[in-house]
Amino acid sequence: MTLLDGLILLALISVLVTMLGYRLPVIGWLTSALFAGQLLVLFLMSGLGYGGDTIHSSVALSIFGQPLSWRFDALSWFFALITIGAALASSLFAAGEWGRQYRQNGGNPGLLQFSLALNVLTMLILLASGDLLALFIGWELVSWASFLLMAMAGGAAFSWAMRYITYATGGAMAILAGMGMVYQMTGSLQYADLMAVAGQLSQAQVVILSLLFGSGFAIKMGVLPFHLWQAGAYAETPGPGTAFLGSISSRMGLYGILVVLVQLIGLGRLIEIDISFTWLSLRDLLMWVAAITIILPTFTALRQNDARRLLAWHGVGQGGYMLLGIFSATALGSSGGLMHVFNHATYQAALFLSVYAVVHRTGTADLNKLGGLVTRMPLSFLVMLVGIIGLAGIPPMNGFVSKWLVYRSLLIEGMPLLFVASVIGTLGTILSVYKLIHNMFLGQLRAEHSEIREAPWSMMLPMLVLSLIVFITGFMPGLALDWVAAAQAAVGLPVLQHSLGGVEMEQGGLDMTWLVAVLFAGFGIGALLFYSTGKTRHVNQLDNYAGGHFLTADVRYHYSDHFYAGLMHRIGHWYRESFQWLESVLISLTGFVAQGASGFYRIVQPALLMLVVVVLALWVVR
Amino acid sequence: MSDLKQIPVVAKETGKERTNPLANVFDELIRFAQARSMFMLHYCTGCGAIELPPAMTSRFDMERLGIQPMVTPRQADILLITGYVSIKTLKRIILTYEQMPSPKYVIGICSCTVNGGMYWQSYATAKKLNEYLPVDLYIAGCMPRPEAVIEGLRLLMDNIKSGKSEPWKDYYQRYDYYLGNQQHLFGDDWQTPTDIIGEAEHFGLMGPETEGEHTRLLQQHQQPLEPHKMRLK
Repeated sequence: MTLLDGLILLALISVLVTMLGYRLPVIGWLTSALFAGQLLVLFLMSGLGYGGDTIHSSVALSIFGQPLSWRFDALSWFFALITIGAALASSLFAAGEWGRQYRQNGGNPGLLQFSLALNVLTMLILLASGDLLALFIGWELVSWASFLLMAMAGGAAFSWAMRYITYATGGAMAILAGMGMVYQMTGSLQYADLMAVAGQLSQAQVVILSLLFGSGFAIKMGVLPFHLWQAGAYAETPGPGTAFLGSISSRMGLYGILVVLVQLIGLGRLIEIDISFTWLSLRDLLMWVAAITIILPTFTALRQNDARRLLAWHGVGQGGYMLLGIFSATALGSSGGLMHVFNHATYQAALFLSVYAVVHRTGTADLNKLGGLVTRMPLSFLVMLVGIIGLAGIPPMNGFVSKWLVYRSLLIEGMPLLFVASVIGTLGTILSVYKLIHNMFLGQLRAEHSEIREAPWSMMLPMLVLSLIVFITGFMPGLALDWVAAAQAAVGLPVLQHSLGGVEMEQGGLDMTWLVAVLFAGFGIGALLFYSTGKTRHVNQLDNYAGGHFLTADVRYHYSDHFYAGLMHRIGHWYRESFQWLESVLISLTGFVAQGASGFYRIVQPALLMLVVVVLALWVVR
Repeated sequence: MSDLKQIPVVAKETGKERTNPLANVFDELIRFAQARSMFMLHYCTGCGAIELPPAMTSRFDMERLGIQPMVTPRQADILLITGYVSIKTLKRIILTYEQMPSPKYVIGICSCTVNGGMYWQSYATAKKLNEYLPVDLYIAGCMPRPEAVIEGLRLLMDNIKSGKSEPWKDYYQRYDYYLGNQQHLFGDDWQTPTDIIGEAEHFGLMGPETEGEHTRLLQQHQQPLEPHKMRLK
């Protein structure tokens, strides 16, 4: 029995324990302990993260002559680390007071923990897959496990989850078709066989394979134009489930893209293919899709008035940076893309959890009904501040490092337009995260929130640990870049030469330890000036200037609705919601065809049945 | 308070001798810097406001003197009142003035702020601004031209540089007088959100006339606004 068997077995035990003991009041703590155990086993396998040998599972099956195998390489280990870490943080958040309140409100915290455990198990199975058939089985398991987590709240959540599963089934069909094509070409579904023939495939075959696999996996990522399901489905999931889904679930699509497009087919083949009548190669086209995936969802996030929706839309947008980095196929860019998976998971989980801490205390995530909570929930504010600095990609947090790597590779590779596109996306990110923290924590404290307390420690602990990770991997990105470099080697991308502080290059590298030191020295000088010059006096928020008006507690002067009116005056008319329109057209078209088919079936039913019987009879007789 | 010499000089209670030989140099430097970077909140009440755009923009260019407009009293140094002050407006002016951080300077532009001007018979207009606020200087005229406005501002700068322009301390040290005039105009239940006596204590600017019968009247009905403290539990 190898360590991988132990890991999967422990994940299976977690699922069984949560399934049998979901009524126990301590089930949250128990699940957290089991996740911590899985993390421990993963640390025993940490050799993988530093270039160790692949660990194979001793379980092997054969279906219809197709051998199925499971193994863990550096890439799987990297993704598994994020998965189990996110699950541990989410489960710990739900274990204490949050779970009790959720139970009082009619929810079932045991079911939530079970769904988390099931998601982790299925994701580990997917990450461990050693051939295309195992990959597909893992893929379907992950889809249905995510569906359980999304649908468990019922109501609106269920209809969003249905939408997700419709998309996901379509994606799975595309992947299945791709697998059929691979089988027809090579006669096997082993990674090695596909890799061996990848060089001899015709250009048409490469295009079709990339589109089939790419679109199948991209649906899970929420890449445009398959992005419409994601924000709603994630935002409606109860509490910590959102944090887990938002931080890692959609990255399983990226894992699939990495395995099939990058590792097996190879980005070199995609670069070779020129698209007629344009100056783009197939790879460039995919990069532009990624760039548009950054921009449109980010600016959609800017318009959201629900904190959960806003963050969920950013989850869609940030996926674009990962794809952009990986498709650049350079050591610099792909390490940025891969590192962004880790970084995004850490700050996105921290952000979602701090939003849910506020929801736990105030009962709402509506950005027009909050404000001024910084004096009542200062630690949650701190966590959100760290998180948004990471999300916006500003030093000293880790989001800056990965975005810097992506930008730098785009500039070095001579892709200035893509660089500008990603910077526009970052601009939208900065604007919308400012809206988020301003509307929730800054400004006027509502009278009904004046007695609110900070979230309990069982919720604060995972939030603080996550924000600490966001800072530490920003201060010393080498810690995460080690794992990234091993993952790059595992999928055959060029490996990034890095140091603890960042990257050393002739054209100007990045050393975060220096950068952070200079930044904090600046803060220090500011603090010195602030605290050394004269006395300060705190005043009440109602002692405030509003054009000479006398403010009272019943006057709302917190500017939250129709944020960025000036910007919206310029760009507001660009929000055409064409994708929503397209989706509704598709839905009505499908409904129309289905209605027609059922009408046709009802009219010609006897004849149709007879036809079927005749065909079957002929087939049997023959 | 039209004559500076009438302001009673209050000895500092701390009684500390200034031992640093460079103290006067620092004071000089700080006053020079203060005089050269002034943010101006213009409370434009009347026709005098029309003279400010040319004074601020390229023709006369106030900004070359380091004077520029500011949108909030919290960062402003000068409160510029440019015309007749109705009683309703005066409440807002006092609120705004009290929200400015010290040191702060008040300039009344136009004759209306000096003596009511053409509104001197009006029942609804405050005639003398310096009964309600300590005014640093008046720029008389109906209306004063931008040259006169800039001349007045240069005078204020000279006063600040030489350390003569300290009427803002007078508001703390003789708060009872100003509050009495305000109560006479607005009624006995007049109050602003700012706690002037608390600020005077906080910054060590208490004088013999800071408290009196009018402040006692205020304290009877005043509801103090405590700042929100950061709290974990």
